[in-house]
Amino acid sequence: MMKHISLSKGFKTLLSGMPDLSCVQIPEPETIAVSAMDIPYIRPRLLVKKNAPVKTGTPLFCDKRNPCIVYVSPGTGTVQQIVFGERRRLKEVVIALEKKEAFIRFEPLSSNSLDSVPRTTLIQQLQKGGLWQCFREFPSKDTADEAHAPPMIIVSLNGNDPFSPHPQVVLENETKAFDFGINLLNRFSKRVIVTSRQDSLERLNGVNPHITHTVPDFYPAWDPGVVLYQLKKTQEENRSWCISAEHLLLVATFLLTGTYPVKRVVTVTRSTDKRPHIITRQGAPVNHLVGDLDDTSLITTGLFNGRSVDPQSHLGFFETTLTILPDPQTEEFLGFLHPGMTRPTVSKTFLSCLTRAPKTLDCNLHGEERACINCGYCTKICPVDLAPNFIMKALLSDDIEDALSYGLLDCCRCGLCAYTCPSKIELTNILSHGMDAHYKDKE
Amino acid sequence: MNPFKKLLESSEKHFTESGRFHSLEPLFDTIKTIFLFPSPRNKQVPFVRDNLDLKRYMSFVLLSLIPVLIFGIYNTGFQAGLARGETYTVFRSFLTGSRYVLPIILVTYGVGFFWETLFASLRNHKISEGLLVTGLLFPLTLPATIPLWQVALGISFGVVIGKEVFGGTGRNILNPALTGRAFLFFSYPLSMSGDVWVAAKTTVDGVSSATALSIMAPEGERLATLLSDSGFTLSNLFFGFVPGSIGETSALCCLLGAAFLIITRIANFRIIIGGIAGLILTATIFYLIPGGSHTWSDAGPLYHLCAGGFLFGISFMATDPVSAPGTNPGRWIFGGLIGFLTVTIRVVNPAFVEGAMLAILFMNVFASLLDHIVIKYTASKRIPNV
Repeated sequence: MMKHISLSKGFKTLLSGMPDLSCVQIPEPETIAVSAMDIPYIRPRLLVKKNAPVKTGTPLFCDKRNPCIVYVSPGTGTVQQIVFGERRRLKEVVIALEKKEAFIRFEPLSSNSLDSVPRTTLIQQLQKGGLWQCFREFPSKDTADEAHAPPMIIVSLNGNDPFSPHPQVVLENETKAFDFGINLLNRFSKRVIVTSRQDSLERLNGVNPHITHTVPDFYPAWDPGVVLYQLKKTQEENRSWCISAEHLLLVATFLLTGTYPVKRVVTVTRSTDKRPHIITRQGAPVNHLVGDLDDTSLITTGLFNGRSVDPQSHLGFFETTLTILPDPQTEEFLGFLHPGMTRPTVSKTFLSCLTRAPKTLDCNLHGEERACINCGYCTKICPVDLAPNFIMKALLSDDIEDALSYGLLDCCRCGLCAYTCPSKIELTNILSHGMDAHYKDKE
Repeated sequence: MNPFKKLLESSEKHFTESGRFHSLEPLFDTIKTIFLFPSPRNKQVPFVRDNLDLKRYMSFVLLSLIPVLIFGIYNTGFQAGLARGETYTVFRSFLTGSRYVLPIILVTYGVGFFWETLFASLRNHKISEGLLVTGLLFPLTLPATIPLWQVALGISFGVVIGKEVFGGTGRNILNPALTGRAFLFFSYPLSMSGDVWVAAKTTVDGVSSATALSIMAPEGERLATLLSDSGFTLSNLFFGFVPGSIGETSALCCLLGAAFLIITRIANFRIIIGGIAGLILTATIFYLIPGGSHTWSDAGPLYHLCAGGFLFGISFMATDPVSAPGTNPGRWIFGGLIGFLTVTIRVVNPAFVEGAMLAILFMNVFASLLDHIVIKYTASKRIPNV
C-alpha cells in the first residue's frame, strides 16, 4: 500500500536540461579517485602511500573517529597522487587504473542465507568492504552509528538533485538485488520507508511493491530529511537512518557477490543539452564525464545542495550528478528593472512567473548582500517549516538553544532559503554551520 | 561598450582605497550598482540564486506608489484651484501641484541620501535600497504646503533616529517614514494637523480647509450629513478629490497600489486584509453603539475606510516588512489591531484626528512581541529535535 506525502513548499519552477532516460557506457577513465570532500565530518587517516599498488576494494583511508569505517579503492592500479588542500586537508586519493582488475574478495551471501547471518557479522562485512557509510544517521547525516537500532530507515529513490539519475535507469535489471537490500534493511530496523517521486513511479515495475510512500514532484520533496520531517511522530525518530537507492544496490550487490561494486550511474546536465545517463566507474574524473568546457561555467554536484568541483577533480562516493551552470558574467545596464520573461524566480516580480516554459539557472548571485528585511521568502519555501530568518538571527547572536527549539536540526540543507533570499544572505551556510558546530560539540 | 559603463569605470579609481574621494565610495557604489546590476559568481552553496534582489524588491514599492503620486500631484493643484474659487484644468492642476510636490520629494531624497551616505561612509557599508522607498513615502504623508525646512528636518529625524541609530535598514523598529512624520506632527502641529492648508496659501491669504477627519458635527446633528454638506461625500473621499496630505486622499489609488503589491507578493496580504477587516469591524461596532452620533463613531465603516490616511498607511507603511511581524499569525493580528486602533483613536481621542499613523507606529513597537509569541508557540508544536 502506497501512501502519498502531501507537501506544499518547495521549488516548483520547471528547469531546462532534464537528462534523457537513455543510457550510455563511456570508456574507462585513465585515473579514478576517492574524494574526501563529499564525506561529512570525516577526519581521514591515510592507509596507503604514493605509488602503492591497490586492488579493487583495498582501503585507501579510514575515518579517525571510527577506524572501522574505510573508504576503498574502486579500481585496480597504483596510487598516483594524494591531493591535499588548505591546511593539509585530504582532498582525494588518485589511482592510475590498470587494465587487469583484481578484487579483494569476501564471503558472498545468498539471498536465502541472509536471515541466518548475525547482524554484527553483516555490519562488520559492510565496514570492511567500504560500504557501511552508505547508511547515514539523522539529524547530522553523519555515518550511521552501528550500535544504534534506528526507529526508521528511509530509502530515497531519487537522489539529491532534481536531475539526479532516474531510478528506472539505476534499478534496471537489479530487482533481485533491490529485494535483497530491502530484506537487509528489515534486519536493521522495524520500519523501512521507501519513497519515490510520483512521476518516476510508473516506470518502476520491479520495485513498485516495496515503495511505501510517494512524494510530490518538486524539489526537495524526496529528500530523506523532508520525508522524515513529514512522517515522524516521536522524538526518538529523529535518529532515523537514510540510504539512497543506488547505495542500497551497492550494499546488496557487495553482499551477494563478495566484491566491491564499482559501477555507477551518473547524470551530467546542462540547460541547453539533453544528455543521456552515463554508466561509469566510481570516482571518475569530472572532465571525463563532462567533456571539454571552453567557457567559465561552474560545475556542481547538485543545483541546490552540491559542492562546486574542478574539472580536474573526481566525482565523490556520494555524488551522482554533475550540473554545468552557465556564468553570463555581465553587469546588465539597469538590470534590476528587467521585465525578465525568461528569468527563473520563485517570486512574482518577473514576467517569467506567468509562463510555464522551462527556465535556465545560472551561477550568479543576482544582486548584493544586504541586511535581512524579514520579508519571509525563506519561510515560505522551507520544506520542513522552519523560519530560516529567525534561526539565522538566533545563530548569529550565539543563541543555540533558541535555534534548536525553532527546529534547526530538522533542516535538510536543501539550499532553498539561500536560493530565494532577496537580500542574498547565506542562510543555508549559516544554518549548516550552526548544525555542524552543535554536532561537533556533542561528539 | 555602453558609454555609461565607460564613464563609471574611468572614474572608479577616484573612489577606491587611494582615491581622492574614498570617503564617498558608498555613494559611487550605489550609483554604479543602480546602473550596472552586480552579478558576482556564487561562492557558497547553493550555487544558484533567485533573480529577485532587494533593488528590484524596493523598486516595486515605488511602482506601486505611482498612482498615488500622480493623483496626489493632480489633487494638490486641483484643491489649490478650488481654494481660489476656480476649477483648474487637468494640465494646470498638474502644473500647480508639481510646483508644490516635487520640491518636497527632491528635498526628501536629497537630505535622506546625505544622511544615508554619511552613515554608510562612517560605518563602511553599502547604501541600502530602503531609502528609495522611505524617500517617496515620507513626502506623500505630508501636506503640500509644508515648509521645505520642516521636510528636511522630518526626513533627517526619520532616517537618523528612526533607522540609522538602530543600525540601518533591516534593523529599525519603527517605519522611518512614519517616524519622520510623527516627529513633524508633534513638533509643528500647525503645519501638520487636521486643518491642512491648501496649496493656495501663497496666492490667497488665509485659505485653509479642514480634512474630513477634523470635522465634528454640533450636538444633535448627524456626522454623515455634515460630511456630505462639506463636500466629503463618500465618492469624493473614495476617488480623493478632497484636501489632505499629498498621497493619502484617494482611497482608490491606495487600493490600486495595494493590489499591485499583493499580486507581486511584495507586501503581505495578511496585513492589508487584516487591517481593513479590523477597521471595518471596529467601525461597525462603534456605529452600533448608541449615542455620539455627532462624532466619528457614527461615521460607519465606509467613511472610516475612505477618510484620512488609513488605506495609505495600511497599504504602504504597515506592510514594510522590517517593522512588521515576520510570522503569518503575527501579521494578521498586527493588521487587525492597526485597524482597531485607528478607529478607536479617531473616535475616542479627539486630540488626534488621525489615528492611522499612531496606530501603525504603536503596532510597530509590538511587532517583535507578536513574533516572539508566535514563534514560541509554533516551536512548542514541533517535535523537539535536540
